[in-house]
Amino acid sequence: MPQTWSATGLQSLRRGASLRPRHPFQSLRPVLWTQPLTPRQLQCVQELSSRRLQRMPVQYILGEWDFQGLSLKMVPPVFIPRPETEELVEWVLEEVAQSPCAMGAQGGPLILEVGCGSGAIALSLLSQLPQSRVIAVDKGEAAICLTQENAQRLQLLDRIQIVPLDVTLEGSWAHLLTWGPMDLVVSNPPYIFHRDMEQLAPEIRSYEDPLALDGGEEGMDIITYILALAPWLLKDSGSIFLEVDPRHPELVGSWLQSRPDLSLDLVAVRRDFCGRSRFLHIRRSGAQRGCPADAWPWPLPARVPG
Amino acid sequence: MSPPASFHWPAALLRVCTAPWGLWPRDKRALLAPRLAVTAVPAAGRKDRPALPALDERELEEQFVKGHGPGGQATNKTSNCVVLKHVPSGIVVKCHQTRSVDQNRKLARKILQEKVDIFYNGENSLVYKEKQEAEKKKQERKKRAKETLEKKKLLKELWESSKNVH
Repeated sequence: MPQTWSATGLQSLRRGASLRPRHPFQSLRPVLWTQPLTPRQLQCVQELSSRRLQRMPVQYILGEWDFQGLSLKMVPPVFIPRPETEELVEWVLEEVAQSPCAMGAQGGPLILEVGCGSGAIALSLLSQLPQSRVIAVDKGEAAICLTQENAQRLQLLDRIQIVPLDVTLEGSWAHLLTWGPMDLVVSNPPYIFHRDMEQLAPEIRSYEDPLALDGGEEGMDIITYILALAPWLLKDSGSIFLEVDPRHPELVGSWLQSRPDLSLDLVAVRRDFCGRSRFLHIRRSGAQRGCPADAWPWPLPARVPG
Repeated sequence: MSPPASFHWPAALLRVCTAPWGLWPRDKRALLAPRLAVTAVPAAGRKDRPALPALDERELEEQFVKGHGPGGQATNKTSNCVVLKHVPSGIVVKCHQTRSVDQNRKLARKILQEKVDIFYNGENSLVYKEKQEAEKKKQERKKRAKETLEKKKLLKELWESSKNVH
Protein backbone atom coordinates (compact mmCIF):
# COMPACT_ATOMS: atom_id res chain seq x y z
CA MET A 1 0.00 0.00 0.00
CA PRO A 2 1.25 3.48 -0.77
CA GLN A 3 2.28 5.49 2.29
CA THR A 4 -0.19 8.23 1.42
CA TRP A 5 -3.16 6.23 2.69
CA SER A 6 -4.63 7.34 5.97
CA ALA A 7 -5.60 4.52 8.31
CA THR A 8 -9.26 5.45 8.25
CA GLY A 9 -9.31 5.95 4.48
CA LEU A 10 -8.11 2.43 3.80
CA GLN A 11 -10.31 1.03 6.51
CA SER A 12 -13.45 2.61 5.11
CA LEU A 13 -12.74 1.29 1.61
CA ARG A 14 -12.06 -2.21 2.91
CA ARG A 15 -15.04 -2.08 5.24
CA GLY A 16 -17.38 -0.84 2.56
CA ALA A 17 -16.19 -3.48 0.14
CA SER A 18 -16.21 -6.37 2.60
CA LEU A 19 -19.86 -5.87 3.46
CA ARG A 20 -20.83 -6.96 -0.01
CA PRO A 21 -20.41 -10.60 -1.10
CA ARG A 22 -19.32 -11.43 -4.65
CA HIS A 23 -17.13 -8.34 -4.80
CA PRO A 24 -13.43 -8.76 -5.63
CA PHE A 25 -12.63 -7.47 -2.14
CA GLN A 26 -14.58 -10.30 -0.59
CA SER A 27 -11.24 -12.07 -0.54
CA LEU A 28 -10.01 -9.61 2.07
CA ARG A 29 -12.12 -11.15 4.82
CA PRO A 30 -10.07 -11.70 8.01
CA VAL A 31 -9.82 -15.45 7.55
CA LEU A 32 -7.83 -14.96 4.34
CA TRP A 33 -5.52 -12.22 5.60
CA THR A 34 -2.79 -14.77 6.30
CA GLN A 35 -2.61 -15.77 2.63
CA PRO A 36 -0.64 -13.70 0.15
CA LEU A 37 -2.63 -11.95 -2.58
CA THR A 38 -2.65 -13.46 -6.04
CA PRO A 39 -1.25 -11.25 -8.81
CA ARG A 40 -4.78 -10.64 -10.08
CA GLN A 41 -6.00 -9.63 -6.65
CA LEU A 42 -3.02 -7.36 -6.21
CA GLN A 43 -3.72 -5.64 -9.51
CA CYS A 44 -7.36 -5.22 -8.55
CA VAL A 45 -6.40 -3.71 -5.21
CA GLN A 46 -3.98 -1.31 -6.87
CA GLU A 47 -6.57 -0.18 -9.40
CA LEU A 48 -9.23 0.43 -6.79
CA SER A 49 -6.75 2.09 -4.47
CA SER A 50 -5.55 4.52 -7.10
CA ARG A 51 -9.13 5.58 -7.68
CA ARG A 52 -9.56 6.17 -3.98
CA LEU A 53 -6.34 8.15 -3.89
CA GLN A 54 -7.86 10.36 -6.58
CA ARG A 55 -10.66 10.99 -4.08
CA MET A 56 -13.27 9.05 -5.97
CA PRO A 57 -16.13 8.29 -3.57
CA VAL A 58 -16.16 4.71 -2.31
CA GLN A 59 -19.65 4.21 -3.67
CA TYR A 60 -18.49 4.99 -7.22
CA ILE A 61 -15.42 2.75 -6.85
CA LEU A 62 -17.57 -0.16 -5.73
CA GLY A 63 -20.24 0.72 -8.25
CA GLU A 64 -22.97 0.07 -5.75
CA TRP A 65 -24.25 1.09 -2.36
CA ASP A 66 -27.08 0.23 -0.01
CA PHE A 67 -30.10 2.33 0.77
CA GLN A 68 -32.88 1.22 3.10
CA GLY A 69 -31.80 -2.37 2.68
CA LEU A 70 -31.77 -2.20 -1.13
CA SER A 71 -28.62 -2.60 -3.15
CA LEU A 72 -28.41 0.15 -5.78
CA LYS A 73 -25.99 0.61 -8.63
CA MET A 74 -23.94 3.80 -8.40
CA VAL A 75 -22.46 5.57 -11.41
CA PRO A 76 -20.77 8.97 -11.52
CA PRO A 77 -21.91 11.69 -11.70
CA VAL A 78 -25.33 10.62 -10.42
CA PHE A 79 -25.82 11.81 -6.85
CA ILE A 80 -25.02 9.25 -4.17
CA PRO A 81 -27.84 8.75 -1.65
CA ARG A 82 -26.93 10.05 1.79
CA PRO A 83 -27.68 8.19 5.05
CA GLU A 84 -29.92 11.03 6.26
CA THR A 85 -32.26 10.48 3.34
CA GLU A 86 -33.12 7.04 4.70
CA GLU A 87 -34.86 8.87 7.52
CA LEU A 88 -36.89 10.87 5.01
CA VAL A 89 -38.19 7.59 3.65
CA GLU A 90 -38.91 6.35 7.19
CA TRP A 91 -40.95 9.46 7.89
CA VAL A 92 -42.99 9.07 4.71
CA LEU A 93 -43.67 5.43 5.57
CA GLU A 94 -44.81 6.40 9.07
CA GLU A 95 -47.21 9.02 7.71
CA VAL A 96 -48.64 6.65 5.11
CA ALA A 97 -49.18 3.99 7.78
CA GLN A 98 -51.05 6.48 9.94
CA SER A 99 -53.42 7.71 7.26
CA PRO A 100 -54.34 4.81 5.00
CA CYS A 101 -57.63 6.36 3.94
CA ALA A 102 -56.04 9.60 2.85
CA MET A 103 -53.52 7.71 0.76
CA GLY A 104 -56.06 5.69 -1.19
CA ALA A 105 -56.58 1.99 -0.61
CA GLN A 106 -56.34 0.83 -4.19
CA GLY A 107 -53.12 1.38 -6.05
CA GLY A 108 -52.02 3.93 -3.52
CA PRO A 109 -50.37 6.09 -2.56
CA LEU A 110 -49.47 7.80 -5.83
CA ILE A 111 -46.14 9.52 -5.25
CA LEU A 112 -44.18 12.05 -7.26
CA GLU A 113 -40.46 12.15 -6.63
CA VAL A 114 -38.63 15.21 -7.90
CA GLY A 115 -34.95 14.63 -8.61
CA CYS A 116 -34.81 10.84 -8.38
CA GLY A 117 -31.04 10.50 -8.96
CA SER A 118 -30.17 6.81 -8.56
CA GLY A 119 -33.79 6.00 -7.69
CA ALA A 120 -33.10 5.52 -3.99
CA ILE A 121 -36.18 7.23 -2.58
CA ALA A 122 -38.58 6.05 -5.28
CA LEU A 123 -37.49 2.42 -5.14
CA SER A 124 -37.34 2.14 -1.37
CA LEU A 125 -40.88 3.54 -1.14
CA LEU A 126 -42.11 1.17 -3.82
CA SER A 127 -40.52 -1.82 -2.15
CA GLN A 128 -42.00 -1.04 1.25
CA LEU A 129 -45.43 0.09 0.02
CA PRO A 130 -46.55 -2.78 -2.21
CA GLN A 131 -49.65 -0.91 -3.46
CA SER A 132 -47.89 2.34 -4.24
CA ARG A 133 -46.97 3.85 -7.59
CA VAL A 134 -44.25 6.39 -8.18
CA ILE A 135 -43.60 8.97 -10.86
CA ALA A 136 -39.88 9.66 -10.69
CA VAL A 137 -38.55 12.70 -12.53
CA ASP A 138 -35.06 14.10 -12.99
CA LYS A 139 -33.53 16.60 -15.35
CA GLY A 140 -30.32 14.58 -15.69
CA GLU A 141 -30.14 11.96 -18.42
CA ALA A 142 -27.66 9.84 -16.43
CA ALA A 143 -30.03 9.86 -13.46
CA ILE A 144 -32.94 8.73 -15.63
CA CYS A 145 -30.87 5.83 -16.98
CA LEU A 146 -29.60 4.81 -13.57
CA THR A 147 -33.05 4.90 -11.97
CA GLN A 148 -34.31 2.78 -14.86
CA GLU A 149 -31.51 0.28 -14.34
CA ASN A 150 -32.00 0.08 -10.58
CA ALA A 151 -35.76 -0.30 -11.01
CA GLN A 152 -35.11 -3.18 -13.38
CA ARG A 153 -32.64 -4.84 -11.01
CA LEU A 154 -35.21 -4.65 -8.23
CA GLN A 155 -38.10 -5.68 -10.50
CA LEU A 156 -40.10 -2.58 -9.71
CA LEU A 157 -40.53 -1.33 -13.26
CA ASP A 158 -44.23 -2.15 -13.27
CA ARG A 159 -45.05 0.46 -10.63
CA ILE A 160 -42.72 3.30 -11.62
CA GLN A 161 -42.84 5.91 -14.35
CA ILE A 162 -39.42 7.44 -14.94
CA VAL A 163 -39.71 10.78 -16.72
CA PRO A 164 -36.95 13.15 -17.87
CA LEU A 165 -38.16 16.49 -16.60
CA ASP A 166 -36.83 19.86 -15.48
CA VAL A 167 -39.41 21.28 -13.09
CA THR A 168 -38.00 24.79 -13.52
CA LEU A 169 -38.89 24.83 -17.21
CA GLU A 170 -42.24 26.40 -17.97
CA GLY A 171 -45.04 24.01 -18.83
CA SER A 172 -42.74 21.01 -18.47
CA TRP A 173 -44.61 19.27 -15.67
CA ALA A 174 -48.17 19.83 -16.86
CA HIS A 175 -48.41 16.44 -18.58
CA LEU A 176 -47.83 14.73 -15.21
CA LEU A 177 -51.47 15.54 -14.56
CA THR A 178 -52.39 12.74 -16.95
CA TRP A 179 -51.50 10.27 -14.17
CA GLY A 180 -53.99 11.91 -11.90
CA PRO A 181 -53.66 13.95 -8.75
CA MET A 182 -50.94 12.74 -6.40
CA ASP A 183 -51.08 11.77 -2.75
CA LEU A 184 -47.49 12.78 -2.05
CA VAL A 185 -44.61 14.77 -3.43
CA VAL A 186 -41.24 13.66 -2.06
CA SER A 187 -37.87 15.20 -2.82
CA ASN A 188 -34.26 15.55 -1.81
CA PRO A 189 -33.72 18.55 -4.08
CA PRO A 190 -30.39 20.31 -4.56
CA TYR A 191 -30.29 22.44 -1.39
CA ILE A 192 -26.72 23.55 -0.87
CA PHE A 193 -26.17 27.29 -0.70
CA HIS A 194 -24.18 28.33 -3.77
CA ARG A 195 -21.47 29.98 -1.67
CA ASP A 196 -20.94 26.66 0.19
CA MET A 197 -20.30 24.68 -2.98
CA GLU A 198 -16.58 25.41 -3.09
CA GLN A 199 -16.14 24.13 0.46
CA LEU A 200 -17.39 20.68 -0.41
CA ALA A 201 -14.97 17.77 -0.05
CA PRO A 202 -13.09 16.81 -3.24
CA GLU A 203 -15.05 13.55 -3.38
CA ILE A 204 -18.21 15.51 -3.90
CA ARG A 205 -16.89 18.44 -5.92
CA SER A 206 -14.99 16.39 -8.46
CA TYR A 207 -17.30 13.46 -8.99
CA GLU A 208 -20.93 14.26 -8.21
CA ASP A 209 -23.15 16.34 -10.48
CA PRO A 210 -23.10 19.93 -9.15
CA LEU A 211 -26.62 20.41 -10.52
CA ALA A 212 -27.77 17.82 -8.01
CA LEU A 213 -26.30 19.87 -5.17
CA ASP A 214 -26.42 23.59 -5.96
CA GLY A 215 -29.66 25.16 -4.76
CA GLY A 216 -28.75 28.72 -5.65
CA GLU A 217 -28.01 31.65 -3.42
CA GLU A 218 -29.99 30.48 -0.41
CA GLY A 219 -30.32 26.87 -1.52
CA MET A 220 -34.01 27.52 -2.14
CA ASP A 221 -34.22 27.67 -5.93
CA ILE A 222 -35.47 24.15 -6.65
CA ILE A 223 -37.43 23.97 -3.39
CA THR A 224 -39.53 26.98 -4.37
CA TYR A 225 -40.32 25.48 -7.77
CA ILE A 226 -41.43 22.23 -6.15
CA LEU A 227 -43.63 24.06 -3.67
CA ALA A 228 -45.13 26.20 -6.44
CA LEU A 229 -46.08 23.24 -8.64
CA ALA A 230 -47.21 20.92 -5.86
CA PRO A 231 -50.69 22.45 -5.31
CA TRP A 232 -51.42 21.78 -9.00
CA LEU A 233 -50.52 18.14 -8.72
CA LEU A 234 -51.59 17.20 -5.19
CA LYS A 235 -54.95 15.96 -3.97
CA ASP A 236 -56.69 17.95 -1.26
CA SER A 237 -54.71 17.56 1.95
CA GLY A 238 -51.90 15.93 -0.02
CA SER A 239 -48.42 16.16 1.47
CA ILE A 240 -44.94 17.26 0.46
CA PHE A 241 -41.88 15.75 2.16
CA LEU A 242 -38.54 17.43 1.62
CA GLU A 243 -34.98 16.99 2.75
CA VAL A 244 -33.34 20.39 3.22
CA ASP A 245 -30.48 22.34 4.70
CA PRO A 246 -30.83 23.02 8.47
CA ARG A 247 -31.32 26.72 7.65
CA HIS A 248 -34.32 26.04 5.46
CA PRO A 249 -37.16 25.35 7.92
CA GLU A 250 -37.24 29.06 8.77
CA LEU A 251 -36.70 30.20 5.18
CA VAL A 252 -39.38 27.87 3.84
CA GLY A 253 -41.78 28.95 6.58
CA SER A 254 -41.37 32.60 5.63
CA TRP A 255 -41.58 31.88 1.94
CA LEU A 256 -44.85 29.95 2.35
CA GLN A 257 -46.29 32.82 4.36
CA SER A 258 -45.48 35.15 1.47
CA ARG A 259 -47.38 32.82 -0.89
CA PRO A 260 -50.83 32.31 0.66
CA ASP A 261 -52.11 31.59 -2.85
CA LEU A 262 -50.47 28.18 -2.67
CA SER A 263 -52.54 27.06 0.34
CA LEU A 264 -49.58 25.16 1.76
CA ASP A 265 -48.80 24.85 5.47
CA LEU A 266 -45.51 23.80 7.04
CA VAL A 267 -46.88 21.24 9.49
CA ALA A 268 -43.74 19.61 10.86
CA VAL A 269 -39.95 19.75 10.96
CA ARG A 270 -37.97 16.63 11.78
CA ARG A 271 -34.37 16.27 12.86
CA ASP A 272 -31.87 13.81 11.40
CA PHE A 273 -29.78 11.43 13.51
CA CYS A 274 -27.20 14.19 14.06
CA GLY A 275 -29.86 16.40 15.60
CA ARG A 276 -30.04 18.82 12.68
CA SER A 277 -33.37 20.07 11.32
CA ARG A 278 -33.38 18.16 8.08
CA PHE A 279 -36.87 17.26 6.94
CA LEU A 280 -40.05 19.20 6.25
CA HIS A 281 -43.66 18.07 6.03
CA ILE A 282 -45.82 20.51 4.14
CA ARG A 283 -49.52 19.95 3.59
CA ARG A 284 -51.89 21.32 1.01
CA SER A 285 -54.87 22.73 2.84
CA GLY A 286 -57.86 21.93 0.67
CA ALA A 287 -59.14 23.10 -2.72
CA GLN A 288 -57.69 26.09 -4.53
CA ARG A 289 -59.78 29.23 -4.62
CA GLY A 290 -58.57 30.26 -8.06
CA CYS A 291 -55.57 30.44 -10.34
CA PRO A 292 -53.01 32.99 -9.20
CA ALA A 293 -51.96 33.71 -12.76
CA ASP A 294 -49.55 36.54 -12.04
CA ALA A 295 -47.71 34.67 -9.28
CA TRP A 296 -46.73 31.64 -11.36
CA PRO A 297 -43.32 31.46 -12.99
CA TRP A 298 -44.81 29.63 -15.98
CA PRO A 299 -47.94 29.87 -18.12
CA LEU A 300 -50.83 27.92 -16.63
CA PRO A 301 -51.68 24.43 -17.85
CA ALA A 302 -54.98 24.08 -19.75
CA ARG A 303 -56.58 21.86 -17.07
CA VAL A 304 -57.68 23.32 -13.74
CA PRO A 305 -56.72 21.20 -10.74
CA GLY A 306 -59.68 19.45 -9.05
CA MET B 1 -32.52 8.87 36.06
CA SER B 2 -30.40 11.39 34.18
CA PRO B 3 -26.69 11.12 33.36
CA PRO B 4 -24.29 13.23 35.40
CA ALA B 5 -23.61 16.66 33.95
CA SER B 6 -19.90 15.97 33.72
CA PHE B 7 -20.39 12.99 31.44
CA HIS B 8 -18.58 13.13 28.10
CA TRP B 9 -17.37 10.84 25.36
CA PRO B 10 -13.57 10.55 25.28
CA ALA B 11 -12.54 9.92 21.67
CA ALA B 12 -10.54 6.81 22.56
CA LEU B 13 -13.56 5.06 24.02
CA LEU B 14 -15.43 5.29 20.74
CA ARG B 15 -13.15 2.61 19.39
CA VAL B 16 -13.76 0.32 22.34
CA CYS B 17 -17.01 -1.43 21.97
CA THR B 18 -18.90 -3.88 24.02
CA ALA B 19 -17.39 -3.79 27.50
CA PRO B 20 -19.54 -2.10 30.13
CA TRP B 21 -18.63 1.51 30.70
CA GLY B 22 -15.63 1.61 33.05
CA LEU B 23 -16.64 4.81 34.83
CA TRP B 24 -19.94 3.53 36.04
CA PRO B 25 -20.37 1.43 39.19
CA ARG B 26 -20.53 -2.29 38.41
CA ASP B 27 -22.72 -3.03 41.42
CA LYS B 28 -26.13 -3.31 39.86
CA ARG B 29 -27.95 -3.23 43.18
CA ALA B 30 -26.98 0.41 43.43
CA LEU B 31 -28.84 1.14 40.20
CA LEU B 32 -32.53 1.36 39.65
CA ALA B 33 -34.05 -1.02 37.15
CA PRO B 34 -34.96 0.62 33.85
CA ARG B 35 -38.47 1.95 33.58
CA LEU B 36 -40.61 -0.23 31.34
CA ALA B 37 -42.62 2.75 30.20
CA VAL B 38 -43.73 3.70 26.69
CA THR B 39 -40.60 3.55 24.59
CA ALA B 40 -39.45 4.03 21.06
CA VAL B 41 -37.77 0.61 21.03
CA PRO B 42 -40.38 -2.07 20.38
CA ALA B 43 -40.39 -5.12 22.60
CA ALA B 44 -41.54 -7.49 19.90
CA GLY B 45 -41.55 -11.11 20.94
CA ARG B 46 -42.08 -14.32 19.11
CA LYS B 47 -45.48 -15.93 19.48
CA ASP B 48 -44.49 -18.59 21.98
CA ARG B 49 -41.95 -16.49 23.89
CA PRO B 50 -42.24 -13.45 26.13
CA ALA B 51 -40.77 -10.20 24.82
CA LEU B 52 -37.44 -8.76 25.92
CA PRO B 53 -37.80 -5.91 28.44
CA ALA B 54 -38.18 -2.75 26.36
CA LEU B 55 -35.62 0.02 26.34
CA ASP B 56 -36.64 3.56 27.24
CA GLU B 57 -35.32 5.84 24.50
CA ARG B 58 -34.84 8.59 27.10
CA GLU B 59 -32.24 6.46 28.85
CA LEU B 60 -30.17 5.99 25.72
CA GLU B 61 -27.33 8.08 24.37
CA GLU B 62 -26.40 7.67 20.77
CA GLN B 63 -23.31 8.68 18.90
CA PHE B 64 -22.41 8.23 15.28
CA VAL B 65 -18.78 7.65 14.44
CA LYS B 66 -18.65 9.84 11.39
CA GLY B 67 -17.14 13.17 10.50
CA HIS B 68 -18.95 16.10 12.04
CA GLY B 69 -19.24 17.95 8.76
CA PRO B 70 -22.34 19.81 7.64
CA GLY B 71 -24.11 16.53 6.88
CA GLY B 72 -26.75 15.77 4.27
CA GLN B 73 -25.81 16.58 0.67
CA ALA B 74 -22.72 18.47 1.78
CA THR B 75 -21.07 15.38 3.26
CA ASN B 76 -20.21 11.97 1.88
CA LYS B 77 -18.72 9.73 4.52
CA THR B 78 -19.12 5.99 4.40
CA SER B 79 -18.51 5.38 8.08
CA ASN B 80 -21.89 4.44 9.47
CA CYS B 81 -21.01 3.02 12.86
CA VAL B 82 -23.52 3.56 15.62
CA VAL B 83 -22.46 3.68 19.26
CA LEU B 84 -25.33 3.32 21.69
CA LYS B 85 -25.18 3.62 25.45
CA HIS B 86 -27.74 2.61 28.03
CA VAL B 87 -27.13 5.25 30.65
CA PRO B 88 -28.50 3.62 33.83
CA SER B 89 -26.45 0.46 33.43
CA GLY B 90 -23.53 1.93 31.53
CA ILE B 91 -23.66 -0.69 28.84
CA VAL B 92 -22.32 0.44 25.46
CA VAL B 93 -22.79 -1.34 22.17
CA LYS B 94 -21.27 -0.57 18.85
CA CYS B 95 -22.88 -1.66 15.60
CA HIS B 96 -21.22 -1.52 12.24
CA GLN B 97 -22.85 -4.52 10.63
CA THR B 98 -24.50 -2.93 7.62
CA ARG B 99 -23.85 -0.01 5.30
CA SER B 100 -26.97 1.75 6.50
CA VAL B 101 -26.92 4.00 9.55
CA ASP B 102 -30.62 3.38 9.95
CA GLN B 103 -30.27 -0.42 10.01
CA ASN B 104 -27.30 -0.16 12.35
CA ARG B 105 -29.33 1.95 14.75
CA LYS B 106 -32.07 -0.66 14.82
CA LEU B 107 -29.61 -3.53 15.27
CA ALA B 108 -27.73 -1.67 18.01
CA ARG B 109 -30.98 -1.31 19.93
CA LYS B 110 -31.76 -4.98 19.58
CA ILE B 111 -28.29 -5.99 20.80
CA LEU B 112 -28.49 -3.49 23.65
CA GLN B 113 -31.91 -4.80 24.67
CA GLU B 114 -30.42 -8.28 25.12
CA LYS B 115 -27.40 -7.04 27.03
CA VAL B 116 -29.51 -4.93 29.36
CA ASP B 117 -31.75 -7.91 29.97
CA ILE B 118 -28.76 -10.03 30.96
CA PHE B 119 -27.34 -7.24 33.09
CA TYR B 120 -30.45 -6.74 35.18
CA ASN B 121 -31.95 -10.19 35.12
CA GLY B 122 -28.84 -12.35 35.10
CA GLU B 123 -29.96 -15.93 35.23
CA ASN B 124 -33.55 -14.85 34.84
CA SER B 125 -32.89 -13.00 31.60
CA LEU B 126 -34.53 -14.20 28.42
CA VAL B 127 -31.20 -14.72 26.70
CA TYR B 128 -29.85 -16.86 29.54
CA LYS B 129 -33.05 -18.88 29.75
CA GLU B 130 -33.07 -19.51 26.03
CA LYS B 131 -29.48 -20.65 26.17
CA GLN B 132 -30.25 -23.01 29.02
CA GLU B 133 -33.21 -24.44 27.17
CA ALA B 134 -31.17 -24.94 24.04
CA GLU B 135 -28.45 -26.63 26.06
CA LYS B 136 -31.00 -28.82 27.81
CA LYS B 137 -32.50 -29.90 24.49
CA LYS B 138 -29.04 -30.67 23.19
CA GLN B 139 -28.26 -32.83 26.21
CA GLU B 140 -31.56 -34.67 25.84
CA ARG B 141 -30.86 -35.38 22.17
CA LYS B 142 -27.43 -36.69 23.07
CA LYS B 143 -28.85 -38.89 25.76
CA ARG B 144 -31.51 -40.31 23.45
CA ALA B 145 -28.96 -40.94 20.74
CA LYS B 146 -26.74 -42.75 23.22
CA GLU B 147 -29.62 -44.87 24.44
CA THR B 148 -30.61 -45.78 20.89
CA LEU B 149 -27.04 -46.75 20.11
CA GLU B 150 -26.84 -49.01 23.16
CA LYS B 151 -30.13 -50.68 22.27
CA LYS B 152 -28.85 -51.39 18.77
CA LYS B 153 -25.66 -52.81 20.22
CA LEU B 154 -27.60 -55.07 22.53
CA LEU B 155 -29.86 -56.28 19.74
CA LYS B 156 -26.86 -56.99 17.56
CA GLU B 157 -25.24 -59.03 20.31
CA LEU B 158 -28.42 -61.01 20.82
CA TRP B 159 -28.69 -61.66 17.08
CA GLU B 160 -25.06 -62.77 16.90
CA SER B 161 -25.44 -65.08 19.87
CA SER B 162 -28.69 -66.56 18.51
CA LYS B 163 -26.95 -67.24 15.17
CA ASN B 164 -24.22 -69.17 16.96
CA VAL B 165 -26.71 -71.35 18.72
CA HIS B 166 -28.38 -72.52 15.50
